[in-house]
Amino acid sequence: MSKIHLGCAVRRGVSTASIAAALAVWWPASAQSPVDLTKWSPEYVRSIAGTQEFDTAADCGKVTPLNYRGRVSFWYQGAFEGDPDLLRQYYRDFFATFRKTYPNIQLEDQALTYNDLLDKFRTALLGTAGPMVVRLQILGGVEFASKGYLQELKPEDIGYTAQDFWPGAMKSNMWKGKTYGIPTNNETMALIWNADLFKRAGLDPDKPPATWDDVVRYSKQIKEKTGIAGYGLVARKNAGNTPYRFMPQLWAYGGGVFDEASASPNYAQIQLNTAASKRALQASYDMYVRDKSVPVSALTNQQADNQPLFLAGQLAMMISHPSDYDVMLDLKKKATGSDAQTAQNVIDNMRYGLIPTGPDGKRAVVFGGSNMHILKPEYVDGGKVDQPAAKALVCFWTSPEWSLKMAYAGSNPGNLNGFKTKWMKERLENIKFLDVTTAMLPYGIPFPTIPETPEIMNIIVPDMLQNALTGTMSVDQAAEDAARKIRNVMSGGKL
Amino acid sequence: MTIRPTEVPARATARPAGVFRRAWIHRADYLYVLPAIVVMLIVIAYPVYYTIELSFYNTPPSLQLRDKIFVGFDNYAIILGSDVFWQVTLNTFIWTIVSTGCAYILGLGCALCLHRAFPGRAVMRAILIIPWVISAVAAAYIWKWIYHSNFGVIGALLVELGFAGRPPNFIDSVNSVLPSLIVVNVWREFPFAMIMLAAGLQTVPDQLLRAAKVDGAGAWHSFWHVTFPHLRGVSIATILLLAVANFNSFIVTWIMTGGGPANASHIWITHIYEIAFGRQRWGIAAAYSVILFLIVMSLGYFYVRGLGGAEKEGGAS
Repeated sequence: MSKIHLGCAVRRGVSTASIAAALAVWWPASAQSPVDLTKWSPEYVRSIAGTQEFDTAADCGKVTPLNYRGRVSFWYQGAFEGDPDLLRQYYRDFFATFRKTYPNIQLEDQALTYNDLLDKFRTALLGTAGPMVVRLQILGGVEFASKGYLQELKPEDIGYTAQDFWPGAMKSNMWKGKTYGIPTNNETMALIWNADLFKRAGLDPDKPPATWDDVVRYSKQIKEKTGIAGYGLVARKNAGNTPYRFMPQLWAYGGGVFDEASASPNYAQIQLNTAASKRALQASYDMYVRDKSVPVSALTNQQADNQPLFLAGQLAMMISHPSDYDVMLDLKKKATGSDAQTAQNVIDNMRYGLIPTGPDGKRAVVFGGSNMHILKPEYVDGGKVDQPAAKALVCFWTSPEWSLKMAYAGSNPGNLNGFKTKWMKERLENIKFLDVTTAMLPYGIPFPTIPETPEIMNIIVPDMLQNALTGTMSVDQAAEDAARKIRNVMSGGKL
Repeated sequence: MTIRPTEVPARATARPAGVFRRAWIHRADYLYVLPAIVVMLIVIAYPVYYTIELSFYNTPPSLQLRDKIFVGFDNYAIILGSDVFWQVTLNTFIWTIVSTGCAYILGLGCALCLHRAFPGRAVMRAILIIPWVISAVAAAYIWKWIYHSNFGVIGALLVELGFAGRPPNFIDSVNSVLPSLIVVNVWREFPFAMIMLAAGLQTVPDQLLRAAKVDGAGAWHSFWHVTFPHLRGVSIATILLLAVANFNSFIVTWIMTGGGPANASHIWITHIYEIAFGRQRWGIAAAYSVILFLIVMSLGYFYVRGLGGAEKEGGAS
């Protein structure tokens, strides 16, 4: 069957020492994290998996009695076309289990796609018709906390402690020193490549590009030798996939939107127009315009568009989650004849590795994920929040058991105790390439925790890419234009 | 019921009454339409008023809408001073004029073809209506894949047939994206024009066409001098309805490109949506909407006038 090397790149490239070094770069010493991040290597994760039992019903029963009678409305980012079927099943299981555990709580859940959730939630809030509980992408919480829509919500309010969660994730819920949410899952992506295409292009099939400059070079070589697109660039506007793939590149080159990649960011200085940031943009320009080594459709593509390209053997490298392996298996089931054979060949040759570094050895990845929040009653449809019911739901999802299961194929549990469960042990055996994304966690950089982040990440950064890649502006002009727009956003004035 | 004859002459000879007096006289009529008026005030008048009011406020992303800051006409100045606005305006006019014109011409051609009896006409008519009746969202996704710059059906066919060395770039190029989207829009809209004009063709008097034939008029002359003048009214209505629909057209552009690349396919309505919901600049989006509202209202005015003129002409003939 396959020549998949589980975590081979990780074992080669990551050691606890390097993780500690990376942490020293981005994690503020002043934060005094109670979680010792330096020990979170893939080996450590394996050593703690399956070492502790948790009883979710009993734990959450202490927060809200299991016979409590009430009602809770809930919006969340559901599974969409880019997610594996496995995730859909866990979503179904979660809601069924919650209803069984709390038979007297009427749960009204509504799933929205990643790209729609923020828009619909904002609209609902304007009409004071929001849900009682919402699960938002990590970059969204601060916007709503700063506007006063969210209640304060600490892990202690639902029976956990801050030490049970990644410090970076907790930080994404903080606004002016107060906590407004609980992390459900945290993710860092990895580089995925097709070893067969590497081989056909004359590259070492088991050696991923070490730096982003290598990515540019590899992509060009693959295109020249095979006629197939090298790197799966994504530059669509209003799509979360774009910043998740461009920001690691930007940070690796030493750039940033502000100083979010530094030890103690204060978001005061715009850095999108620095020489380092421009080098990162230039790398994308070189691949798309100069070398034409990435899919032409990059400007309208999301990651969900890259997946079939990759499975068809028409794309050599992309950045994504471990869940993409399951997505490939799901997609392969739909293929027939020679397409199915091609798909199987791609799956057999699928490799995962660490995201490349910048020229100075700096490695970075977006520290992503989602958080759960409870709204203030005045913004909720009906004007009331059933606190015990809302807390029961948040407790349930962020429990070690469910924060692990709901992140089973794609990311990591928000609750660190999830790593200790038997399901984590089972997951390590079932889910390929999990080690790689676990190994990327220490390199995770959260998006700037400011209310303007969604606009910057979903519109201004993709706009900058599109302006440069279409030749509408030069790389310099596009970077300067984006910096000007961010200045305008921060001053709350012009477009 | 008894009618007292003395009352009628008394009203007929009275001085022209004021608006309020006339309203009072017809108070019972107003009572009947009052529920409809109340609904219209709530769902139309209030949103219009609120949009106009909001257009004078700044609504930074870090503040709730209720904390908006009065800025007078600043939002209008920001819009008119923005390069993107002028690019989007040009896109909007190209989109509207070309889409409307092409949909009308194609619809007219199809209506004329289907006007003549031939075997399979009913089936053909049903097939041609399909683009109009299927979901716009589904159509946009299908076209996105048809146009796909790497895997699109059109590109593959062109390469296969030897017309192109590699698949053309339809929606990932600033130069070709708008024409490509217009093709989709025309494909979606022409059946509407076809139906309207096919109905109009039924009203062309047969005897006039026969008389023209007797006078030696060919097919073109019969169409130009007899058929087309009779379609004037329905043509005006069709074109104006299409134009208004195109000014407000959102789905095709948003789903296929999101206004990109580099704003090359943004039209007013998608740009307003992005400013409001993506960037939360409700004030600027409201000012933008007011401008769009005025333009669409002007079109509505010409629509009503056009209909009136056509009716008069129809009555005279």
